[in-house]
Parts: sequence; structure tokens; C-alpha cells
Amino acid sequence: MRVEVQGLTVRYGDVTAIDDMSFTLSGNKIYGLLGRNGAGKTSLMSALAGYRKPSGTVQLDGVPVFENAAAMRRVCLVRHSADAADKGDKVSHVLEYGAAWRDTWDNDYALELTELFKIGLRTKVGELSLGQRSALGVVIGLASRSPLTMLDESHLGMDTPTRYAFYDTLLHDFMAHPRTIMISTHLIEELSSLLEEVVIVDAGRLVLQEEADVLRSRGTEVTGNASDVDEFTAGMTVLGEKSLGRTKAAMVYGALEDDQLIRARGLGLELGPIALQDLFVHLTDPVGGKR
Amino acid sequence: MFDDRSPIYRQIADRIKADVLSGALKADEQVMSTNQYAAYYRINPATAAKAFQQLVDEQVLYKKRGIGMFVSTRARDMLRAQGRETFFGEVVDPMVAEARAIGIPLAEVIRRIEQHENNGGV
Amino acid sequence: MKIFRRLTAALGLFSAMVAGGAFVFVVALTFVVSIFRDVEISAWNVVASQVGPWFLLFIGVYAIHNMMPVAVAHGRTRREFLLAASAFSVVLAVVMTATEWLGFLVEGGIYSLMDWRADEHGAQLSYFLMYLVWIAVGMLCAAAFDRYGGGGLFVLPVALALVVVTRLRMPGSGNLPFVDDTPDLFGSALPAVLVLSFVVALAGTWVIARDMPIRQRTS
Repeated sequence: MRVEVQGLTVRYGDVTAIDDMSFTLSGNKIYGLLGRNGAGKTSLMSALAGYRKPSGTVQLDGVPVFENAAAMRRVCLVRHSADAADKGDKVSHVLEYGAAWRDTWDNDYALELTELFKIGLRTKVGELSLGQRSALGVVIGLASRSPLTMLDESHLGMDTPTRYAFYDTLLHDFMAHPRTIMISTHLIEELSSLLEEVVIVDAGRLVLQEEADVLRSRGTEVTGNASDVDEFTAGMTVLGEKSLGRTKAAMVYGALEDDQLIRARGLGLELGPIALQDLFVHLTDPVGGKR
Repeated sequence: MFDDRSPIYRQIADRIKADVLSGALKADEQVMSTNQYAAYYRINPATAAKAFQQLVDEQVLYKKRGIGMFVSTRARDMLRAQGRETFFGEVVDPMVAEARAIGIPLAEVIRRIEQHENNGGV
Repeated sequence: MKIFRRLTAALGLFSAMVAGGAFVFVVALTFVVSIFRDVEISAWNVVASQVGPWFLLFIGVYAIHNMMPVAVAHGRTRREFLLAASAFSVVLAVVMTATEWLGFLVEGGIYSLMDWRADEHGAQLSYFLMYLVWIAVGMLCAAAFDRYGGGGLFVLPVALALVVVTRLRMPGSGNLPFVDDTPDLFGSALPAVLVLSFVVALAGTWVIARDMPIRQRTS
């Protein structure tokens, strides 16, 4: 599903959670929505899911989503506390709501997933552990088979084996039923190999939107004599620096041209890759080097 | 598994090439489908597809419509030829530089290589 | 239609079961009381006129506060939900009025068999309209508090005004706080005023909930 956001702003009283954000997602991919706590991830997803009235426009496949019955049918957002489940309801009731209200709901799959995540059908939602409630959110999200499915911090409280079961399930279901999936997280290292595209937000603004694999090739760590590093990185986007004695390491963002590679070799500089996780940290670092 | 420090599609392509070179993947042998590969290594299927497409473009693999992808007959020879081209630049030259840096005379390095030759190594 | 069916199946059935349970309870209680003293009032009327409205207020609150966010999270619009909830409030009021009527019927039989005396109770229409208004007022209050938090307090005077009229000419409903004798204000226009109360409460709910954000549940 194609997602278009134009001039989106979300305010809570004096706090601006999303500040005039615009982007387009072409759809049918797994997207990672990355940002620090309070960066605006949940607010953004809430606007995409029609949970709140947007100022600016949010369109799914070319039509506004807010209070649009046809568009709402095709979107599902599960925020960490399982929106589609009332605390007093039993898990089985939650699935009944899904079956009753969602045209695309796959109940057999929902039951299969509750078994996989060991969620008791007769347990009340309020009595589930945090990890189980997160898992129930994943069940609701995946079993909805919505053309746009968004999972907000779905890993919260899950132990490591459960998280990997979640990743595997997500991947299998995505391959069997390709659709637009957006996952917000800050556990980037674990999840990043699943992502095709990455959207990074910080302080309510879009920092970048890029194919994950392209992003992995964008960051370079330049290490060497401090003055040589400074000379080499002049005019480049430097995300962060650290020094040890006369040696300096600078994180540079952007693809390096051949002549730059030759020059680096001439200066005796060492060039190394930067992990996506580190790149994210530096791109959203409030005290990070020069921006 | 794949690390997060360079494009994953490139790591996949390199791994398959290494398997072809070592003989783990034989000529005309079918390789895993992108979805199998993605599920097995827990990676995005589009990333796996991109790696496979690159290998098809480089003629390491070929597609049989509706069946899958196979190792090209001449993939191994081709990769060996490419490897020979870059071997001295990427393996020998850095080794010589390293030997110089830590003070090993090149004559000693050469002697060592000759020992390998005499012991029947390739 | 799907939401309406779900509301009716879940809340309608639940309400009828609660009413049935309450009936069994008060009949048993009446028998216990009859051991110690003469029975002079209809116990069922206490339920029908006093407990019932509060229960329906709760159902109205539950519908908006608990079920609407779930419906939106399952891809339904607020409009669809409010339409269904509006229709449901009428249906629930009808069901509860029928339950109330049936209760009086059975209770009347038991009373004449036991030779007990009952006080008078209201007309069916009064019960129906009272239930209708209380459900809608429950929805109105839930919408206001969900949307405005503490600011939702402003709705309470309005809500009070809307429910006060339902107590006029309702025998056995007791007196309201601060008002000793509720005067017969509207005469024969009272049913119309009650319908108006219902419409006002429902319209208020629509205005407030129509574009209400779906907040995160605190765990």
C-alpha cells in the first residue's frame, strides 16, 4: 500500500510531536521506523492509522485515511499496549472482535500464533505479562493481514527466543502475504536484516528515508593522524568524532568517490564500515558532532 | 550470519561465490530460492533477491523460468579467473606490506611459500 | 451492521443476564424480608427505577470508553461505531423495558399468590425513555472524559440536567439530592422532553467523539 504524508503536524498542547513531516512509502516492503524515545514514532503511526485527525494530509493509496471506512479497513496499528484488546476481555474475545470486525482477519492463523506465543485463550488481557501482551499485539497485527500493518515497539517485554520467533513469523507471513509492514523499534541490530527500507525520525522530523542496504554502505569511519583526518573530512558530513592522542576517528556519512578513496590511501588513512546501529545513534544524537 | 556493517546483498553474493569457488556448489546445481534463503538467514527477501539478481547479472547463476536458479557451467572458472586478477593486489601486496612493517625479510616469506610448495600444497 | 451485531451480542445479552440475575435476587430478598415484616413495596421497582438506570449509564460508558477504541483499532471508523451505538442504545432500552415489564408481570403473580402489597409503578413508556436517556448520557460522559480528561467535568451539569427529567413522575424512584419534590414541570409534554434529552445526549456524544483521538491504554 502506498503511503503519502504531506505536511503532517501532531501537537499535544504545547508539545509538538510531529513537525511538518512529509514522505512517501511506495509500499509492499518491510519498513523500519527508527527513532529515539519521544522522537514521534507512535504519533506518526497513530496518524497513519487514523487514530487521530491529522493536520496536514495522510493518504493511503491516494485517499485520506481519517474516518474513511474503506481506507480504515485496510490498516492496522498495534501500539505496545495492544489497542485492539480491552484489559477486561479474555484473549478469546479479542480474537472474536478481530474475526467480527475485520474482513481480512485469518482466525486459524490467529489461533496458530496464540499457540506459538503460548498465550492462553481464557486469560484476561490485563493478566498477561508485558511480553505476552506484546505477543498478543503481534497476533492481532499479523492475523489482521492488513495491507498496511504497523507494529509499534512490539518486542517490548519479549525474551530473546520469543523475539526471534516473532521475527521468523513476521518474515514467513510477509513472504506468504506480501504487504506493507512498518515496525518501530530501537533494537536495530536484531531487526535490521529484516528491513528493506528505513525511516529515521528525530524530534518530530524526518532525518532520512533510505534502503537499509544502501544505508549500510553510506557510513564510513575514517581513522588516522588527527590533522590528516580533519583535512580529509573537510566539507563532508561528519556525524561524530573521537580522538585518542594524535589519532582521530571520524564518522562520515555519504558514499565516497574513487578519487576520495585514493586520497585517503595517500594520506595513510584507514577506512572502515559503520554498523547501522551506530549510524542511527549518530544520526539522532543530540550532542553528536557536527550535523 | 550477516553483519550490519556492509550491504547484506553483497555479503550474500560473496558467500555464494565462495561456495562456488570451494566446490560446495557445483555447476548446474540448483541454489536455494530467495524465500528459502531469506527465511533461513532471517533476512529481507528483497535483499536476498537483489543478491541473486546481481549473481545472475554477473553470470554466476542462471534462471530457469518457474523452476529456480542454478550455478552456471562456467561460473567456477570465471570466478577463479577474477580471483587471480585481484589476488596479488588484495592478498599478496598487503601481506608484503605487513611483513615489512613487522620486519620480516621478504626472503623469509618466500622460503615459507616454497616450503608449502614442497609439502605438496597447491 | 457488524458493530451493531457485536454490541448487541456482547452487551445486550450481558445486560439481559444481569437483569435476570437481579430479578432472582430481589425475589429471594423479598421472601426473606416477608419473614420479618409485611411486604409493602415492589422490590422489582427498586431495581427497575433506581438500579437499572445506573447500570445502563455504565453500559453507555463502557460502549464509548472500552469498545470504541477497540473498534477503531480493528479498522472501523468512529462514525460507523457511533451509528451502531446509537441504534444499539434504542434496542437495549427496548430490551430492558421488556425485561422490566416481564419482571413486573412475574412479580405481580408472586405478590398476589403470597398476598403481598406492592406500591404503584410507572408506565412502560416512562421506563423506556428513562433507560434511553441514561444510556446516551453514559456515552456522553465517557466521550467527554476520554477526550478532555479532567476538562470533561463540564459535561456533568449537562448530564445531570438531562437525567433529572427522567425522574419526574417516576414512582418509587426516590427524591433527587437537593430537590425534595420534583414538580410536574412539563405536563403532557414530558415524553417529548425525554426524547429531546436523549437526542441532546446522543448529539453531544457524536460531536465530541466524532474525531476523538484514540489514546494509548495505560497498562
